[in-house]
Amino acid sequence: MPLDSSSYSLAQFSTQAAADGSSYLEMGQTKIICTVNGPQESKRGGGSRDQSNAARIETDISIAGFSGVDRKRHGRGDKRTQEMQHTVSSAFSSTLFTHLFPHSTIAIAIHVLSQDGSLLAACLNAATLALVDAGVPMSDYVVACTTGSTASYASNDEEADPLLDLNGLEEQELPFLTVGTSGGEDKVNVLIMETRVQMGRLEAMISVGLDGCKQIRGILDDIVREHGKKALNSRVN
Amino acid sequence: MPSEPAPSTNEREFILAALRENTRLDGRALDAYRPISLTFGNDYGTADVRLGKTRVLAKISCEVATPYPDRKFDGIFTITTELSPLASPAFEVGRQDTPELLLSRLLEKTIRRSGALDTESLCLVAGQKCFHLRATLHVLDADGNLVDASCLALIAALLHFRRPDIEVHGEDVTVFDPREREPVCLTIQHRPFCVSFSYYHAGEVMVQDATLLEEQCREGEVVVSMNRFGEVAQVAKYGGPPVDGLSVLGCMSAALERVKGFDKMVTEKLKEDEKRRDAGGLMAELSAENERPVEGGDRVML
Amino acid sequence: MTSLKRSYASTSPSTTLSSKTYLRTLKSGKVQKIVREVYLRQDIPCSSQLCTACLDLAPVGFHKKADPPVLSATPAATEQLPQGHYIVPDTNAFLSAMDLFESEGVLQDAIVLQTVLEEVKNRSLPLYHRLIALTKNEGKRFYVFFNDFRLETYVRRDAGETINDRNDRAVRKACGWYAQHLEKAVRARKSARCPVVIMLSDDRENVRKGKEDGLPAMNLRDYVAGLPDANRLMDMVATSREGRAARDAKAQMIYPEYVSMSAMLTGVKAGTLHQGVFNVSPYNYLEGSVQVPAFDRSLIVQGRDNSNRAVSGDLVVIEVLPKDQWKAPSSKAIDEEDVNKNETAENEEDEREAIVTEQERRALQEEVRKTHGKGAEGRAQPTAKVVGIIKRNWRQYVGHIDRDSVRSRNKESRAQQTVFLIPMDKRVPKIRVRTRQAAELVGKRVLVSIDSWDRDSRYPVGHFIRSLGELETKGAETEALLLEWDVQYRPFPRTVLDCLPAEGHEWKVPASTDDPGWKGRRDLRDLLVCSIDPPGCVDIDDALHAKQLPNGNFEVGVHIADVSHFVKPNNAMDKEASLRGTTVYLVDKRIDMLPMLLGTDLCSLKPYVERYAFSAIWELDQNADIVRKDFTKSVIRSREAFSYEQAQLRIDDKSQKDELTVGMRCLMMLSKKLRAKRMAAGALNLASPEVRVETESETSDPIDVKTKMALDTNQLVEEFMLLANISVAGKIYEAFPQTALLRRHPAPPKNNFEELSNQLKVKKGMELRTDSSKALADSLDTCVDPSEPFFNTLVRIVATRCMMSAEYFTSGTQSVPEFRHYGLASEIYTHFTSPIRRYADLEAHRQLAAAIEYETLDASLQSKAKLEGVCKNINVRHRNAQMAGRTSVEYYVGQALKGRILEEDGFVMRIFSNGFVVFVPRFGIEGLIRLRDMDGGEGEREPESVFDAENYALQIEWEQGQRKVELFQKVKVRISDEAEESTGKRKIRLQLV
Repeated sequence: MPLDSSSYSLAQFSTQAAADGSSYLEMGQTKIICTVNGPQESKRGGGSRDQSNAARIETDISIAGFSGVDRKRHGRGDKRTQEMQHTVSSAFSSTLFTHLFPHSTIAIAIHVLSQDGSLLAACLNAATLALVDAGVPMSDYVVACTTGSTASYASNDEEADPLLDLNGLEEQELPFLTVGTSGGEDKVNVLIMETRVQMGRLEAMISVGLDGCKQIRGILDDIVREHGKKALNSRVN
Repeated sequence: MPSEPAPSTNEREFILAALRENTRLDGRALDAYRPISLTFGNDYGTADVRLGKTRVLAKISCEVATPYPDRKFDGIFTITTELSPLASPAFEVGRQDTPELLLSRLLEKTIRRSGALDTESLCLVAGQKCFHLRATLHVLDADGNLVDASCLALIAALLHFRRPDIEVHGEDVTVFDPREREPVCLTIQHRPFCVSFSYYHAGEVMVQDATLLEEQCREGEVVVSMNRFGEVAQVAKYGGPPVDGLSVLGCMSAALERVKGFDKMVTEKLKEDEKRRDAGGLMAELSAENERPVEGGDRVML
Repeated sequence: MTSLKRSYASTSPSTTLSSKTYLRTLKSGKVQKIVREVYLRQDIPCSSQLCTACLDLAPVGFHKKADPPVLSATPAATEQLPQGHYIVPDTNAFLSAMDLFESEGVLQDAIVLQTVLEEVKNRSLPLYHRLIALTKNEGKRFYVFFNDFRLETYVRRDAGETINDRNDRAVRKACGWYAQHLEKAVRARKSARCPVVIMLSDDRENVRKGKEDGLPAMNLRDYVAGLPDANRLMDMVATSREGRAARDAKAQMIYPEYVSMSAMLTGVKAGTLHQGVFNVSPYNYLEGSVQVPAFDRSLIVQGRDNSNRAVSGDLVVIEVLPKDQWKAPSSKAIDEEDVNKNETAENEEDEREAIVTEQERRALQEEVRKTHGKGAEGRAQPTAKVVGIIKRNWRQYVGHIDRDSVRSRNKESRAQQTVFLIPMDKRVPKIRVRTRQAAELVGKRVLVSIDSWDRDSRYPVGHFIRSLGELETKGAETEALLLEWDVQYRPFPRTVLDCLPAEGHEWKVPASTDDPGWKGRRDLRDLLVCSIDPPGCVDIDDALHAKQLPNGNFEVGVHIADVSHFVKPNNAMDKEASLRGTTVYLVDKRIDMLPMLLGTDLCSLKPYVERYAFSAIWELDQNADIVRKDFTKSVIRSREAFSYEQAQLRIDDKSQKDELTVGMRCLMMLSKKLRAKRMAAGALNLASPEVRVETESETSDPIDVKTKMALDTNQLVEEFMLLANISVAGKIYEAFPQTALLRRHPAPPKNNFEELSNQLKVKKGMELRTDSSKALADSLDTCVDPSEPFFNTLVRIVATRCMMSAEYFTSGTQSVPEFRHYGLASEIYTHFTSPIRRYADLEAHRQLAAAIEYETLDASLQSKAKLEGVCKNINVRHRNAQMAGRTSVEYYVGQALKGRILEEDGFVMRIFSNGFVVFVPRFGIEGLIRLRDMDGGEGEREPESVFDAENYALQIEWEQGQRKVELFQKVKVRISDEAEESTGKRKIRLQLV
């Protein structure tokens, strides 16, 4: 199923003036604000100096209490969120030119305002935009999307089409995975799956996911160029 | 912050160069595991896994608790991982860092989310009483591939564990002491195992069961959990340099072979343990459900 | 991996986004705001073969395959609609007349709107499943059109508009769009015939509005009237009139609140309320009865509102209803599964549901009418309603998931669903179970327990415990019946090991008679003792011997396994045995009360080895009168273990003249005399339908079913066991007048036989006298139908069911006349002869041992309260063991009949107004034949019938003409087994031939 460009029409740049870079992204009813600060000098630990020879990427994800159907406080210590933070950080570690900024930190802060599926994918996409906005040098975008499989093992209908870009309801019902790419077609950067699925169905799911990423990449690229054009024009004038 | 000393540049170069020629430091094939040993403790629900120098101990315990209000019909199952300084100077007491977080999340996803343990059967009285099953993992020695070893230990311990028998009558629940009534097995729906792959040279070289040294040199890892029927419980590739889609799929089939081996080993070890416990064949004496000659008929009772 | 290289073909459909926001209130009082996005698109095809434009739109699958259009280019024409037509039924058309839509060959080419499909799903899952099946049936050409996702047909709910009105509007809009769309398509093809799109509705308002909008709308009746086969089809619409009314009048009933505990207790004390155990009729789940001391007949509790959440077995407090509401017990068989089969389990988030469903009300109403018509005041029984519950007797229930209540069969789904569990025990209501594994549990035997039953829930709520395995598999069914009858089949606890002799199987009677084990024991190793048991018996409780004394009298000995020597009071093994109460015998299994080491080896009186025994020895004269009796602990050595058959052969074989055989012949002779005496005293000869399952020796798959045969040797053993039990009972009562553990069989209350004796009088002109057991025994002997030899047995079977059940008790709790054993016509009785498999016998052994001063009596056997507890438990265990055994036989009989169709003779045992019960002696099975099953099984209609309650007859008019079915009538039935559609469970089905 082709992706719907309309669902990305709401991707904006530089929404937060205070941050070095920021973005606002809607993927369906999943809505995210992302800000990037840095690269800047590490402040941690007071006395002890950061010995590393590349920038550290620190991600912080906060999920608003009102983002889901039930109002629920999401503690910062939530392991699931921590895992997502780790995923975002390490996804960008291979695309950002971190070696240019020794002893420094790039801080990504993600605020989830509303969630309705494809949360991790949306986080990755929003972070890409915000990092671009912040002007952090990178080799490629990290783009991600989800795919779900409708085929059930029992009915053995291998023919069924994998779904792309799932919403919350679909994620409840179907096995799905999040795939993120960078650095060329068919290159898997992030691959997270948490639902039980028959091995044979992964191939189709991943391939459709990669297709989807390609489309999103196009969409993001358009937005970036559009924004770039605007920025250039404003300089010229 | 104490940390494991990073390998020297020379060492790293050497390992990477060797791997390029499909050679590992300890002479194993790329897809070979170190010798695995699995032993069970005297108590039910204790499993000790050694994978080369890595050693993990899993222990299951169980108590009656109140279920979570939003999960009235489920029992509680928690997995705790303990990475103590005992295993490696990199681990600190009381502080949770990334390796520990990832380990517990992977186990959580592999075993809990995939429904390996049927938590509904741990419910005693909906909304009031349920079993709280705790699994604690102690890493006693860390020399790489903690995830696979921990998962194996945990699954083995769960299969080995016996919970106290219960009886529900009206609105009352009786929990029987193990001496009063033979404790019962948990309901395990399927047995997923984790297989981790470390990759080098942009995913061209995939290595199973990496040692600590190899882990320190790797570019990234892919962790696959599945059961012997090829049902994938979880796949995790947290970022790192991208790899080809095909190599990820390659990991799946390699993992399936490995998982079949794990499954067989656990089954065999459990059988051995049962035999060991039944020294002298006394268990047979305790069986209450016995074959009966088909012809038989009891007398009419007046 | 070709698919990874798949080129990306871009189709960019124009879509618009809309979102749907709504609020909902949860039961907990929480308000949730749900936001859903809706993508409206224009590429959803109409799927008519007439339309070429939509052909290109048809979704192309992952593998480049498009679905062909569903709706025919030349749909059926009728008189009214010569140009052909497509139908668009609305929700209540489907809800009320699903049968109509399912009939083959008519009502084809239908457009099922998404709006309608979803409404059907919310209203009734089973109907939804049927509708989905219809859309998959290629011949019917039912097409699901996703009107809520198509831009042109999407309807936004207006402010103040009810959801029903919006949905109706959506249906009308979709109809309008289809009509226009088709017209355009037809014009493009330049074809002449443009089918009409007809909206079918049973809702007058909707039809009117449709017509207002210029749509061809019709109600079902008018539409069907125009069809070629109108008369036949009209029947299926007939019942669907109430449609809308039922939808609007969503009753908001809840169960009445329970009275407080203190009010109940005062009420019971004052006699305004009554307390008793609530029992539900196995034939009618809506009718229960409660036996209370204040009334000699049991009180009837009819209907769901009167039974007020009581579950069969609960200890309830009831209030008697005014006399004008008294009625006769139901003359109808009502099965919950049939009445409420279209219900949906998942509606707790909905508004409150009606407690009594319309169907249930109707099922009971009819009955009221019928009983009134017959002027049955004489038969009216007091009715009552439950006002409170003293103690729930909920246990774990085995059952299966109602397949139709499962919303999503997707195994990957982790969403929690509410499903119905249908318990194996028909008297227990469906249980609502919330589970995440619904899809996996379908088709399995599962164990659940009830958690609560709130006032506003029609059904109790429970949770899933575990799955026992596939339905109908031996393992699952065996475990299921053990759980249902609460048989403890788990291994013995380990502490029992410590109570077993350390020597294990090597244990032997000490060689030296100075050993403490020999203390007080008589050496009876010289006696020619033998045992007679069923073939293959390994737990041999008893052995016998007899010899003639020089004075012409006989010495007879009954030797019972000395279990009390091994099982000491109050140790772990004793506690376990007292909990288990009895060994349970299934067809192919034995669930032991004692560990095998004791039961089948050390205690078992196996031949050729020395064993400890407890012996009762009598001196009997030629008339089998007791001259002298003596009880002693002993050591015996059994010479032979016979089966009944072998023993019979040995006795009959004249050539055998050895001492053992001679002794056995003495036993035989004496047993006949004992029996004659007992019969003369008024012992009953009762019958129960017992069959034996023959199985293949290796796989133990059942092959055949045989009725049990009784040999003389069976009776021989029985007589001496009775003699021993009676003698021991006297002895222990004499020694412990307050605490002797005895067994009594109360005389049945007179009105228990009322029904049967009336039936016999009306149908056969026979008289049943029930004033004493002797009178009953004699009159039973006269109930003989010369033309039907089985008739007498049939009457005995029915009579047996009218009896009270025998029970254990302690002598101090009853007055001496109450000790009587009615069936055996004995003044006093106990169980002594099977200590390996009955706990009562073990206790009797201990008491007897104390009575003969062999050992001192344990304190637990002197406490009346403790013994009463033991009695109560073993009474229950015995009943359960019997039921479990019976269920096991039933299962095996079912398996033996699997896939076979047989015709057998059967007898009508009971008549209802809507069916009758037939008993088939050949297989010992009993089954209900409902009238509506007689009509070839199709449809829900019952053949016309007249029920004559006074003459126990049912006059039926069915396809084969008139037929009268009467009580006790011999009928030919066809026995087959069929799989139930909704559950996949096999069931034996009887049909009248």
